This record gives sequence, structure tokens and C-alpha cells, in this order.
Amino acid sequence: MQTNIGKSIRINDILDSKSFLLDTTIASCLGATPQLEDLKSVLQTSVRIFDGIILNPGQMEHLALEVAGKNRAAPLIRVDWTNAYRDQDFCLPVQQVQRVEISSAEDVMILGGSAAVATLLMGFGDEFEAENIRSISRLLRDAYELSLPVFVDIRPIGSGVSTFNFEDVIKLGVSFMMEAGADALIIPDGAQETLKLIANWATVPVIIRSERLLKQDEAMAIFELGVKGILFNEKILEDPKGLIPSLKTMESVLPK
Amino acid sequence: MYSSPGKTARLNRLFNPKDGKAVCVAADHGWMSDPTENVIQLKRILEQVVAGGADGVLMSFGTALRLGYLFQGKDKPAILIRADWMNLPRLGGANVSNVLPVIKFRKMATSRAKDALQMGASAITIYYFIGYSDEFEAINIEQAAIFAQECRKVGLPLIIEPMAVGGMVTGVNIAEILIASARIAVEIGADALKIPYTGDVMTFKQLVDQAKVPVLVLGGAKSDVPRDALELVDEALRAGASGTVFGRNVTKAKDPKKMVEDLVALVHGFKTIDEIFEPQRDKKIRLRAVSQNCVGCLICETVCTQWHHQIFGTARARLWIESKPVEQMPPLNKVHICTLCEACIRACEPGALSLTDRGIIQLNKQLCTHCGACAEACPSEVIWFDEENYPVICDLCGGNPQCARWCKYDAIVIK
Repeated sequence: MQTNIGKSIRINDILDSKSFLLDTTIASCLGATPQLEDLKSVLQTSVRIFDGIILNPGQMEHLALEVAGKNRAAPLIRVDWTNAYRDQDFCLPVQQVQRVEISSAEDVMILGGSAAVATLLMGFGDEFEAENIRSISRLLRDAYELSLPVFVDIRPIGSGVSTFNFEDVIKLGVSFMMEAGADALIIPDGAQETLKLIANWATVPVIIRSERLLKQDEAMAIFELGVKGILFNEKILEDPKGLIPSLKTMESVLPK
Repeated sequence: MYSSPGKTARLNRLFNPKDGKAVCVAADHGWMSDPTENVIQLKRILEQVVAGGADGVLMSFGTALRLGYLFQGKDKPAILIRADWMNLPRLGGANVSNVLPVIKFRKMATSRAKDALQMGASAITIYYFIGYSDEFEAINIEQAAIFAQECRKVGLPLIIEPMAVGGMVTGVNIAEILIASARIAVEIGADALKIPYTGDVMTFKQLVDQAKVPVLVLGGAKSDVPRDALELVDEALRAGASGTVFGRNVTKAKDPKKMVEDLVALVHGFKTIDEIFEPQRDKKIRLRAVSQNCVGCLICETVCTQWHHQIFGTARARLWIESKPVEQMPPLNKVHICTLCEACIRACEPGALSLTDRGIIQLNKQLCTHCGACAEACPSEVIWFDEENYPVICDLCGGNPQCARWCKYDAIVIK
């Protein structure tokens, strides 16, 4: 249970028992993907459907008026940048993975964010991991003073992660971030047993990151495991005709 | 729409609220390159820039301290402060002296948002270097983010200048890198961009469309021909740019006031390029490449070879098309033609090359020493050497350029 009333109020602006969130922040790493070229219209479409939308600080500043207001998606601000998602098809393929802070707890508050979102990149080496932990720990300390919730986005994508240890790396990340004091955890969509274990183990809300739109029964099954929310990325915007009906279908299963 | 009244007010001081456009002049070269004439005579030049009606002037903190008084008054340009320093121009290869050559690329933050506000500035400008290394890019992102946070606190607009430099940048990927870097800068917190031209209207439009903040195209190194510099701005404006930040093309111009006036006329829509240059127009002809129209059919190279050498093929053409691989999107072919920039004539020490009264480059074989300086100097890389090692240079087909005549896509046109 959250004892910090400020954090509690802000988390409840974002999450209820079954929440849908949208992550639009990949553009800070890759530039605008086709789905995010016109972020304003994406927000206009989705701000009344999603419970929360993750934005980069620059976009929050420019588009704050699109997300402001009652019964609209709460803005979550991504506080870090990384080139880890660049692949060989990108115009500058990544050679050395980097992660730097692009916002702070105070900055998120100035922007009117309901929460900060930090990334824990796993599998990229000891030094990188240590720096990542240091950065998130400092953010958590600063955020506590301001009653700002911090969602940690656990990303097991480094070369040290394989299909064999993927589930264990997720659990390790959850363990780290629980100990560090994260207020909510975003984890990849893994095996059912792992999700169930984490949802029961974690004393903070757990959100699943999904790469695709889910059918109604798939979404329900995830929520029944004790998961509080599903986070979609920009890929679900690929088919503009399909997005709204699909989201409406998912929305219909939720007791709002 | 901005959520910060401070930023809105200050951006409106820079961008004319009537048309949302701005003409800015960069006068920060003494801070990073070398004390050439435009740096030493900066006060005189800035007086002319102000008289020319610029909307903003980019300068370092020290220059703003010394010459800030020039910008007092309702109709005076807004002050933009360059808040960082870098040594790129001294890495060699640029058109500056290398008094103290440097080996490693460095960039430092040198002013804070509050310092700029104290100077009465309407924005700060910082670099974002991409393409040098992943680590250097990350440092740039981190610095930009710190500036963005400071600027948010005090309501000062942040202009980020993405620059694609380094070994990872090639002619093939530069447009794609600039487009991505523009949006990355906006995601970090840029309120406007100062950015190089991608080379053609199509890709620059893509950049502008994806940025969703005002985009100011920069001029880069000084063009030998003012019309070339203004044509770059004209193309950028057609792609949706909100104006320009011209540095050396203004501060090193023979008449900086006239150059600013021309830019103001073009950017704010008072005149077209043809109207601006009408009085100076002569009867000589010149070619202009419109790369975005080129489909890569190579008719131009074929007719050039045929016209001059009476053989079918493309190998002996006096122009060439640089093709991007088909799988690259967007597909783009770059047209390399002689623009009569006269760089070859200037590079020819024995004086073997000259310009005729009809505006055609001619070679005096008796004076040619086969040194190759002309080919090295040619920015378009269109000069090659024949079997006797004499340079082969575009002669505009004696005044009837066949490439322009045969190109049905208007990728090569006569000015």
C-alpha cells in the first residue's frame, strides 16, 4: 500500500484495476516512426481511450493541452533516452549502447506529469547496469520528496539475455526495482507462470508491455493474473482503421 | 501550441506573428572557428544586419555583452545566445585556419538559460551532434536535455541545431539522419530547429513535417554566388521551413545589409528569387540541378557523351548522377553538374582556365600543367581527365546545354 498520499493520488489518476496505456516515446531514439509522425492526432484519437500515455518531455511541453483535462489519459513522462532500440536497419546502427537522463523528477512536475517512467536496460554489461541502477535510485529519491510516482520499464534486451534466461532476467529486474523503491513496474509479456508469480509477489502495480493489440479474452486473462495494466507501443497504431474499434472492444471489457 | 507563456512571448519576438517566419543571422563564428574578417569587423557587420531588418541574431554570450545595445528597440532583431562551444571547425578540412589543430571532437555547455535571459535573449541555441559516435551522441542528448529542463523552468525557447558529422555519416544516409535527428531533438525538448538543408525539397519536407516545430534552415559555408545561397532558402521554404539562420553568407558578404534585405524579402514573401536578381541578370546561362526531380534515367549523361564524343554511353559525360540504392527510401538521385562556381578557375595557378564573355569555362592547353588542382577544387566532382591528361570541363554545349534540353523531368534546368 502506498503511504505517500501525493504518490497515491497520482498513481490512481493513471491506474485502476484494468488499465490500458500507450507508449509514444520511441521517437526520441529513432525519430518519428510512421505511426508517430503526427503525434497530435494520435493523442486526439487516444486520449479518451487510454488511461495513461507515456510522452517524452519535449512532446509533453508541446502537446500538454491535448492531454489536459478530466477523463483523459494521464501523462507519464519518460525521463531517459537510449539508443538501444536502434537496429541494423537504422541509418546509424548502434555500436555502443548508451542511456542518459533527459528529465528529472522536478522537471516532470513542472511539465504536469502524473508519473515518471525510467528504463532499466538489462543484459548490457556490469558497468552499464550499475550506472543504470545509480540513475534510477537517484530519480527515486528525488521523486519521493516531490511525491511523484516512478514507473520502471524493465527491458531485458541486451546481448546477455537469451530465450533461456529471459524469464529469470525479468524476475531479477523486478527484484532490483522493488528493492530500489519503484512505484510501479512495466515488464515484458512473458510466460504465464512468471506473470502470475510477479503479480502476486510485487507489492506495487505491475503492467505488461504488449507489442500487439490483444483480443478481449487475452486481455481478460492477463488481468485475471493480477496485472493492473497493459502498455501498448506505437505498433498498435499501424492500422488507423483498426485501432479505435479494437480499443473500443477492449475498453468494453473494462468496468470503468 | 505551447503551454509556456514565456516561451510563446519570446518566440513571437523572433518569429513574425503575421507569417510565423524569421530571418536570423548567425554571428558566433569567433567563438568556435577563427578571427577572420567577419569576426574582427563584427560591430560594423551587425550594424548592417540590424539595418537590413533581420528578425534575430545568434551570438555568443561575450558578443551579447559587448554589442547587445545594437538590439535595443521595438524593430530590432531578437537576441539568440549560443550556449555551447565546440572545436569541430578546427578538426581540419573546414574553411578556417588551423592555428591550433585539434584531434578529438569536443563540445561544452558554456551558458545557462538564466544567463541568456539576463542578456534579454529570446532563445538559446545549442548543437546536437549525431554520427560521430554513440557515446558523443549520448553526451549531446544529455546536455540538450539539461538545457531543455532549464529553459522550461524560466520560459526560454530552446533552439537545437542537429548536425550530422563524423565517420558514420555518408552522402547516402545524411538526409535520413537529419530527418531522424530533427524529431529526436524535438522529443528531447526543442522549441525550434536550426538545421542544414537535406539537399532536396522532398526529404526536407519530410523533416519539417515530422518535426512539428518551426524549422530554420542554415546556410553553411559561404556560397560564391549569392543566388545559390538564396535558392537553398527558397527550396527550404517550399518544403515548409519557417525561415533561415544564415551566418557566413551574410557576415562575409560584400554587402551584408543587402544580403539580409534579400533574405527578408524572400522569407517573408515580399519577392521571389527572380525578382530579387532581376536587375543583376545577364545574358549568360547557367545550369541548375533539381535533384528531387531526377529519376535516374541517365539520358543527361548519354546525350552529353554523344554530343561531345559521338559515342553512345555515359562514361565520358561532363556531369553525373549519384544514385541511391533502390531499396533505400525515399529513393533519391543527386545530380552533379557544373554550376559555374569558378572554383576550378581560382584553383588553376598557371591560369589555364578562364571564363569567356559568354560565361563558358575554357581551357588554354598551352598553360595547363596537368596538376589536377581544378578537379580537386570542383565541389560537384564533374571534372575528369582525357587521354592526354587535360581536364574535361562542362562547356554548356556552347550555349545550348543538351542535358537540360533532353531532361524531360526538369532535373536539370537553365537558370
